[in-house]
Amino acid sequence: MSDGHFAEHEATWRLVKENAGGWDIAGEIPRTVLSGLGAAGVLCAEVRKEHGGLGLGSQESGKLTAHVGSLCSSLRSVMTSQGMAAWTVQRLGTREQRAAFLPQLTGGRLAAVAFSEPDAGSDLGAMTTQLRLDGDTVIVDGSKTWITAAAYADLIVVIGTAGDTAAAVVVPTDAQGVRIEKVPHPMGCRAAGHARVQLEGVRLPAANVLGGTGLSLPFLVTTALAYGRMSVAWGCVGILRGCLGAVTEHARSRRQFGKPIAEHQLVARRIAELYAAERTATAVCQQASECWESGSPDQVIATVLAKHVGATEAVRGAASALQIMASAGASDGHVVARAYRDAKLMEIIEGSSEICQLELARHALATGHGTARQEEAQ
Amino acid sequence: MTPEQQTEKAPFDTDAVVDEITRFVAEQTRTTPDVDQDLFTTGIANSMFAMQLVVFLEQAYRVTVAGPDLQLSNFRTIKSMAALVGRLQAESAADSDV
Ligand SMILES: Cc1cc2nc3c(=O)[nH]c(=O)nc-3n(C[C@H](O)[C@H](O)[C@H](O)COP(=O)(O)OP(=O)(O)OC[C@H]3O[C@@H](n4cnc5c(N)ncnc54)[C@H](O)[C@@H]3O)c2cc1C
Repeated sequence: MSDGHFAEHEATWRLVKENAGGWDIAGEIPRTVLSGLGAAGVLCAEVRKEHGGLGLGSQESGKLTAHVGSLCSSLRSVMTSQGMAAWTVQRLGTREQRAAFLPQLTGGRLAAVAFSEPDAGSDLGAMTTQLRLDGDTVIVDGSKTWITAAAYADLIVVIGTAGDTAAAVVVPTDAQGVRIEKVPHPMGCRAAGHARVQLEGVRLPAANVLGGTGLSLPFLVTTALAYGRMSVAWGCVGILRGCLGAVTEHARSRRQFGKPIAEHQLVARRIAELYAAERTATAVCQQASECWESGSPDQVIATVLAKHVGATEAVRGAASALQIMASAGASDGHVVARAYRDAKLMEIIEGSSEICQLELARHALATGHGTARQEEAQ
Repeated sequence: MTPEQQTEKAPFDTDAVVDEITRFVAEQTRTTPDVDQDLFTTGIANSMFAMQLVVFLEQAYRVTVAGPDLQLSNFRTIKSMAALVGRLQAESAADSDV
């Protein structure tokens, strides 16, 4: 990358690094920080320049996501939501809808994406949020839960059913009938603004329904999640990098039994494993991003793999990192304490580890040779 | 898409497209379906595979399958996918004329 996005926002990244612990404890990121980054296009960096975005490719965007993830998973989560909202508009919306909504998302307004409901988590087919068209308006009723960034959002992309089909609708949070309640005390990504979103008879212009009704729900969900999964995967790389940074510094300076703890082999082994985890997660993410950039159909499975490997490695790596830090990392707000809590949630969201495993197994069983296409192509 | 690719595009050959899509499906599923076979009800495809089909069509035929076309009915059979590609290519050619 042109290190532009890092250099240009260096002051911001320093601020994030210095404040991430405090935001974690307070359960909130100042809005000015979020809208500032939003207006700089950083929160959804893949939006094209014509819509005010940075127009980054998947690799560059991934590096940026990992960088933010290494500093603050709450901010990275907000980025994931904003990026996923933008991607959904880009992918499902008409040309007019892209022109109407994307500049808002690169102009400082904040967005979230709402699939999950109290009774529809992994099984999104069970969702009951309804969109009803009424002339040139649409009426939305339903209840969404654990929606990342919803507490900050100006716009929420709500996924619901529309008769036998499905649709995604852009809901301004100041519309009548929208109620947002923060999830009290999330165990991780504590400042990401998770909230419950109640929608009661929310009437909006039908032009807010992205691409119209008549989409298939699984198709819609798979499409929207694809971006979120890449973002979470790179975010997990960030978690591992944050841990590696803290742990290598600590293990060199902390002395017990007359030498730096890094010289105790059991500690050194953990550092080796953490390094291997970071390299492994990076490699799967890079491979998936490469597929996105080349437009290869392998991107679909590569994305699931990246998310699954990233989250699994982040959980193992963060637990190991906390073991090395011991009491030095055992206070809330510490980068490794946060990593430990935040990483676990990455195994739950955007398709839990089990759901990812089912998809990976299905793919392996169907093809019998997961990488055949790429190998043949070379 | 570059202008060259648009102007040099060969006329749409449905049979060739049907063959290519069939080959892709066979490669990915170890099953060679009939052109009229419903890939979803016969268990060959699910939404993940449908997504792969979307990206495959986009890459192979330089089309964009946007919102309103992301319907399973467009991906239900090899024939319906070939028809979708034909329509999208015709639309994008018409678009670039104006
Ligand atoms: C921090 C956080 C942020 C989130 N952000 C958002 C957001 O922005 N937008 C949004 O829409 N949602 C969001 N969610 C909700 C999230 O998508 C769901 O929590 C997730 O889909 C899992 O659903 P669930 O929690 O209801 O678990 P359940 O679906 O009840 O699953 C419980 C357990 O059963 C397993 N399980 C379920 N079905 C199967 C199966 N078929 N085979 C094997 N195992 C299975 C699961 O893997 C899991 O281990 C967020 C959640 C969290 C925790």
